[in-house]
Amino acid sequence: MLELQGLTVRAGSDPLVEDVSLDLVEGSLTCLIGPSGCGKSSVIKWLAGVLAPELQTKGDLHLDGQTVELPHDAIAYQPQQDTLFPWLTICENARLGLEIRGMERRTARDRVRRLFPAFGLDGHEDSFPDQLSGGMRQRAAFLRTIVQDARILLLDEPFSALDAVTRLQMQDWLIDRLAERPRAVLMVTHDLYEATQMADRILVMAGGPGRIIADIPISTPRADRSEATLADIRSTLKSMLLKETP
Amino acid sequence: MKYLGQILPALVVICVFLGGWEGYVALTDASPLVLPAPSDVVNGLLVERSAIARHAAATLGVAGVGFGLSVLFAFAVSIVLHFSGWLRRGLLPLLVASQTVPIVALAPLMVLWFGFGLLPKVLLVILVTFFPMVVSLVAGYASLPRPFRDQLVSMGATPWTVYRRATLPSARGHFFSGLRISATYAIVATIFAEYAGARQGLGIYILSAKNNFRADLVLSAVLVSACLTLALLAIIHGIERATGRRYRRNAHA
Repeated sequence: MLELQGLTVRAGSDPLVEDVSLDLVEGSLTCLIGPSGCGKSSVIKWLAGVLAPELQTKGDLHLDGQTVELPHDAIAYQPQQDTLFPWLTICENARLGLEIRGMERRTARDRVRRLFPAFGLDGHEDSFPDQLSGGMRQRAAFLRTIVQDARILLLDEPFSALDAVTRLQMQDWLIDRLAERPRAVLMVTHDLYEATQMADRILVMAGGPGRIIADIPISTPRADRSEATLADIRSTLKSMLLKETP
Repeated sequence: MKYLGQILPALVVICVFLGGWEGYVALTDASPLVLPAPSDVVNGLLVERSAIARHAAATLGVAGVGFGLSVLFAFAVSIVLHFSGWLRRGLLPLLVASQTVPIVALAPLMVLWFGFGLLPKVLLVILVTFFPMVVSLVAGYASLPRPFRDQLVSMGATPWTVYRRATLPSARGHFFSGLRISATYAIVATIFAEYAGARQGLGIYILSAKNNFRADLVLSAVLVSACLTLALLAIIHGIERATGRRYRRNAHA
């Protein structure tokens, strides 16, 4: 569905990412994992069309075989920080993407409000972000991303700001939401437990410059995943990451 | 009651200061030509109230027009600077340098170039009040965190949409800070301009009172000008509060 070929990112003469290629398939959650600073966020930001313009980039992107310009309507991006605007209500925040893409305000509001119960935000339409807990804010951020109805979701460490319990709850919750409609998801994480629990496929990145060093599919159904069934994959990933961490 | 508790220390300090001043004048029998007592100042204000009110209205009119135009001009320039890095790098140092020019020197020049009408005074108020607002706005625009901008760009927002939806609202606090600083300069700048040449206004009234050795009236006019500045600040504070409930919220709980 989405095919990236030969992405190279440079800051002057310093290569940050070197010849990264990947493909995303509908209905599949791909995790991009690697040590801090290896270029994971650069890859996802480039795909979202928000990589800093002062960086020099080269790479080809095809969606269903067609070359695409970035940013693209089919791709929704959620940065690491929840980026809910503090002066907008949750409903206003959630419909922002729809309004920017030209949807009439009333239509956007109706569409967003219908999703509030499924996102556990019923009754908080007119609340402001600072009135919500960390988990609720994250759900609101997901609502804003998912309501755009994009075929491809790019999630940059979406759970990194949450406490351990909320993080586990949110992982299960996100899997359920994603199952409602098949999308291609690329999620950046540095947590191998999160990656192995959620992903259909794991791409391992190494730094200096950033490149993909392994592509590991996880065939075990999510319902059957446990410490025992994932032990081998986790052990492999752990040794890879330890080897690549300076 | 809570408000009274907040302003009580300031009231006490003012009362002690005025009481000390009044007592000093009474005890030393200081000449009212040099140091009139606060009671003389208040008395002069009451006697001359209609003349002072007329001159204060003229000052307020000039300051209001100049300040209003300055706000509009500052917004226009800040938008141009925001969207043009080249102009920002070229103009900001000049704007900073312009602040080193003393208004005492500029005021007579304005009168020389543009006469005794409204224009030179309004221009001087604009020159003095425009800079803090532009600098505050430009700093406010730069305060938008990068991920917020990225979020909107990834949604397909144009640079103008990013400005309208995120950059401008996030600069609100900075803008009002600049506005408050500028407001304190507005009346002072008008009085300077009137000093240099005018038919009406507190500046010319102070000059005339000084030439007549009426220190009490000079201080009365100074008191009125301070009150005008405080009133301007109160109006700005009121506008900020009335329009900004949602903008006072924290980014994170």
